Amino acid sequence: MTGDAKVSDASATMNFRRRDAADKLRGRTRYTIDRYLPGMLHAAILRAGVPSGRIARLDITKAARMPGVRAVVTAADAPGMIGIGIADHPLFARDVIRYDGEPIAAIAADTLMQAHAALAAIDVEIEPLPVVLTMADALAPDAPLVHPDWRNYEVLLEGGVRGGNIAWEATVVRGDVDAAFARSDVEIIDSSFRVGRQNHVAFEPRAVVASYEDGRFHIETSTQVPWTIRNATARLLGVPASRVRVTVPPVGGGFGLKFDLAIEPFAALLARASGRPVRLVNSREEEMLTCLFRENAEIRIRSAVTRDGEIVGREAVVLMDCGAYGGEQIFLTTMTAHTLGGNYSLGAVRLVSRAVYTNTAPNGAFRACNGVYNTFALERHTDEVAARIGMDPLAFRRRNVLGDGDLGATGQVFEGDVLGPMLDRMDTMRDAAATPPGCDDGRLYGRATVVGTWFVFVGPSAATVNMNADGTATLVTSGVEIGSGSMMQALPQIVAGTLGLSPHDVIVRAADTDAAGYDVGVGGGRTTVSLGAASLSAAHEVRTKLLKVASEMIEAAAEDLVMRSGRIEIAGAPGSGRLISEVAARAQAQIGPISGTGAFTGAGMPAMPGCVAGHFIDAIDIPVFAVHDCEVAVDTETGHVEVLSYRVVQDVGRALNPRAIHGQIQGGVVQGLGYALHEEVTIGSNGRVRQNGFETYRVPLALDVVPVEINLYEGAPSIGPLGTKGAGEVPILNVAAAVACAVANAIGKPILELPLTPPRVLELLLDQRPTLSLPHIAEAWTNNLLRPHKTDGSN
Amino acid sequence: MDTPASRSVYVAPSLTSALDALDEGGAAAAPFAGGTWIMRAPIRHELLKPRYVAIGSIPELHGIKIDADAVEIGAAVTHATLAAALAELSEFNVLTAAAGRSANPAIRGMATIGGNLATTAFAAADCVPALLCLDAEVEIASRGSRERIDLEQFLTMRSTLAPGWLVQRIIVPRQERKTAHARLPLRQAGDYPTAIVSLAVSLDDVGRVQTARVAVGSVEPVARRWERLEDALVGHPLNAAKAAHAAAGLADEFTGRDSTDVPAWYRVRVLPGLVRRAAAALGS
Amino acid sequence: MGLSLTVNGDHLTSTADPITPLVDVLREEFHLTGAKPVCREGFCGACMVLIDGNPTPSCLMPAALAEGCDIRTVEGLAVNGGLNPIQAALEACDAVQCGMCFPGMVVSLTHLLTTRPGATRDDIRAALTGNICRCTGYERIIEAALLALATT
Repeated sequence: MTGDAKVSDASATMNFRRRDAADKLRGRTRYTIDRYLPGMLHAAILRAGVPSGRIARLDITKAARMPGVRAVVTAADAPGMIGIGIADHPLFARDVIRYDGEPIAAIAADTLMQAHAALAAIDVEIEPLPVVLTMADALAPDAPLVHPDWRNYEVLLEGGVRGGNIAWEATVVRGDVDAAFARSDVEIIDSSFRVGRQNHVAFEPRAVVASYEDGRFHIETSTQVPWTIRNATARLLGVPASRVRVTVPPVGGGFGLKFDLAIEPFAALLARASGRPVRLVNSREEEMLTCLFRENAEIRIRSAVTRDGEIVGREAVVLMDCGAYGGEQIFLTTMTAHTLGGNYSLGAVRLVSRAVYTNTAPNGAFRACNGVYNTFALERHTDEVAARIGMDPLAFRRRNVLGDGDLGATGQVFEGDVLGPMLDRMDTMRDAAATPPGCDDGRLYGRATVVGTWFVFVGPSAATVNMNADGTATLVTSGVEIGSGSMMQALPQIVAGTLGLSPHDVIVRAADTDAAGYDVGVGGGRTTVSLGAASLSAAHEVRTKLLKVASEMIEAAAEDLVMRSGRIEIAGAPGSGRLISEVAARAQAQIGPISGTGAFTGAGMPAMPGCVAGHFIDAIDIPVFAVHDCEVAVDTETGHVEVLSYRVVQDVGRALNPRAIHGQIQGGVVQGLGYALHEEVTIGSNGRVRQNGFETYRVPLALDVVPVEINLYEGAPSIGPLGTKGAGEVPILNVAAAVACAVANAIGKPILELPLTPPRVLELLLDQRPTLSLPHIAEAWTNNLLRPHKTDGSN
Repeated sequence: MDTPASRSVYVAPSLTSALDALDEGGAAAAPFAGGTWIMRAPIRHELLKPRYVAIGSIPELHGIKIDADAVEIGAAVTHATLAAALAELSEFNVLTAAAGRSANPAIRGMATIGGNLATTAFAAADCVPALLCLDAEVEIASRGSRERIDLEQFLTMRSTLAPGWLVQRIIVPRQERKTAHARLPLRQAGDYPTAIVSLAVSLDDVGRVQTARVAVGSVEPVARRWERLEDALVGHPLNAAKAAHAAAGLADEFTGRDSTDVPAWYRVRVLPGLVRRAAAALGS
Repeated sequence: MGLSLTVNGDHLTSTADPITPLVDVLREEFHLTGAKPVCREGFCGACMVLIDGNPTPSCLMPAALAEGCDIRTVEGLAVNGGLNPIQAALEACDAVQCGMCFPGMVVSLTHLLTTRPGATRDDIRAALTGNICRCTGYERIIEAALLALATT
């Protein structure tokens, strides 16, 4: 994006330490939950205790008179509706309760205890309505509708097919799949899979402190998406978005949980009603029961494969439970094309993803969203395919992985051979490793190597770099530090490299929607890419301006000058020239302070015409690939799975901070181990999530994990700044796939469901697990569509 | 700080003052030892008692007395302290392991042995089966009275014990025996065991089992002895595989408890494996 | 009346209800927000403080029972505003991500460092059974503990 001009003279690559560590280690960092303002009120939310019902009566008069109560707000205070693709979600339940835990009213009082006491005094009567708790229930003939008024909702993106309990349907059709399946030289392999939800367990719960000043809302919140909070809050409250300012303190973990609006509007409404700052923090139980989980999903894949291993046809149906409101799952229907339809070169393909309404807590985004379970399904299916045609699973993968010039599911042409060389590199790593000890202890041993395809969620970002006369630079963006370190490491490194500064001399402004331009948010591996590109572009503008001033000062042509080590000097003549601070000071005095702005958005890679319907993006601008390898031992008496070794080869484009990326990979793999082995969410017959705390929702502990052996694969094509790709999201992508395939190999039985908790594995070992049956996925692929796939130009 | 203002905590300086306070408090009062169960009342949606009598500072409840024929353990002794005190006495391996591996290190430093026995709703307590297989007795006290009863008997009456009673100490007889504790958490550690087998045997001169005690915890709502398996072990050399085989044949006497994370059948199904592990730990 | 508490050497008074979890008194009355109430059940360790030198989840400790004890929070572990050996090692190893668990990690590991100088890798892992980290996958934390043990 910077043309032919030289971008930098100093390397941006280094293991630069993060500047926020020392305060985090001393307990000094003030996260949103640590912000206590003078005169602040404490808020609490009345939540429904049934999954489906009609609000027959709601009377807040008694509650409003309770001691300490300063404000009570209800649906009457929030007229708007929000959503992705369709606006189906009000802030409060209006007349109808659609999930257990849905907010009904919010109260602010002098103390939290008073707020809770007042909640109990709200007079509410709910008449039960019929309930659909599972996708099977929701898709049954004559199922009660979660949204009987679905036709009346405002459509925000045209092109999606909807109907009844199907919130959104997205399809991909490329080539003649029927013909492929009808060939006489193919084996047809049919697999079904089911996965549960995953809770992010961000250590900082969703939390907000809101105030109302000079006719504007100021929302301080623990979020990944300040601009979404600004715009969605305004929409729900029915005020102009310019009346909402969002600032973001350090965020205590996101993982996608905070990629959507949370509880901010409640605090905003209460702040306006009371005239006081209002603090609202979810309890851990609220987080456990109503977090925007990674969705549960049901998947059926069929493939037509020749005996020499060519995949001539593939079709799949993916059902994604969006819970009571569409939310992120509506967008994620798009992703199946690139996750289930990724990894391998396919002859003909057709895929349908359906986001299904149920009377359960809404689901949301979680690190590598739909990719984690689709990769599990795809890789397990791939092993079944290889077994059927009698080919070694690794040889089958090597034959079919996407390479240079291959078509993706939506018809995009992939550039470069990446997965193939990554598989080679994994071979080298695996061969160099020692055999794990103790294979004669009666346990069953297995290993697997799996591949995965993910992408960088690009989209708009803005950045400003202000050059200060003291030789430091201030980077202003709407980026948020959620823990991944991108804002502390990659971004200052990019700016510093461009300007020849130490990254210590790049000040990074915390997100403030009043100070920086629009940004999609921190997630989808986009921080280093989108914010990085905008920052690079802004820094480059500063560089150009500085060089111009310096050229006059030094009396040398700008193109002969370099910026490094805090100096601008003539190339090849170290010590010549001036300090950058001198140039900046001169510029400030002569022409005014120097600053630069930068902007970025995706390239908008096209799909093959006619290929996609109901998709939010047609193709992926920056694919990201990963190869994982895992060895396990399975205890036949108890069903316990022990991970013995774990190896990752990850496509990173270019590693700006290798050590930071290693940290992301270790952490992401461990989250994936939790998903694969321990973390289970189940929903009771009352519609409530049964795991309400850390006793029953088990995340991996230090004794449950292994050090991950890591190899960063650099050099794959990327439109990211300096050739980077997002590296923090993808490490979780194929962990469940690797573990499940390894366990299947160990026990000699198919793994069709996750997580592989000891009871589930023991059931499999004892042949007592009932066969997975998904009768609500129709046998014929086309019968799973609300209407036939067509692209009428609306997409 | 989500607690009503009317609560009180009385830090009892002596056993007498604690028993007096409990007696006066009646049903509104309860003893407070380590607090690791009581302080989690909010997540169980239970109300706290209006009055707690903290017993953690009472010197009489903190002793561990090791005599030639018995070990006496004060009710307020923590798991960590107990594990450290018995570490060198191999006949108490079962109890050392129970106290030394339950929960996590910080909790072991707070949770008390008395609390472990007295918390009726906590089915996964490690020390209960361990003490059952050691033929432990429990001394309970109230204002003006004191009783010493079998642990088994205590477990049947603890939920109906009148207010005012307190576990004062646990008495474990000493004898020549080999003991082991096999517990099965879902992760490597840090969660409550899905099932526990505590084993204590004495062997005769030729290595045959003379007496056997097997106790099973966490499988059913209350831990209990597995007497049929004990009978099956007596008179034979201790052999881990054979013990597991015998356990598999007898496990149907247990009715597992269903819970959010573990189905009932699983708790029963893993018992033979735990019996094997416990027996194997005794070097058989 | 009120409760008298000794925190990081300071004598402080609280008006809280006696059974109020210590973590809430520390944070809301004493403005010591280092300890984080994350699970409030003693599983996660993010609210860990030293009570008379022993790592204790402050969510399970009623404030009244901390009277007369030496309470040391993460804020009191750094010497003269610097970093103690485990804090320095964690920083040097680039271990920190979101940081919410680290106050508790630092408390547990500071205790480990002073009480078990010979601790092995497995000892460290076991010692962290009650300290959950959701971001890092633990490896860097274990590395840092080994580094601190080797250099102190």
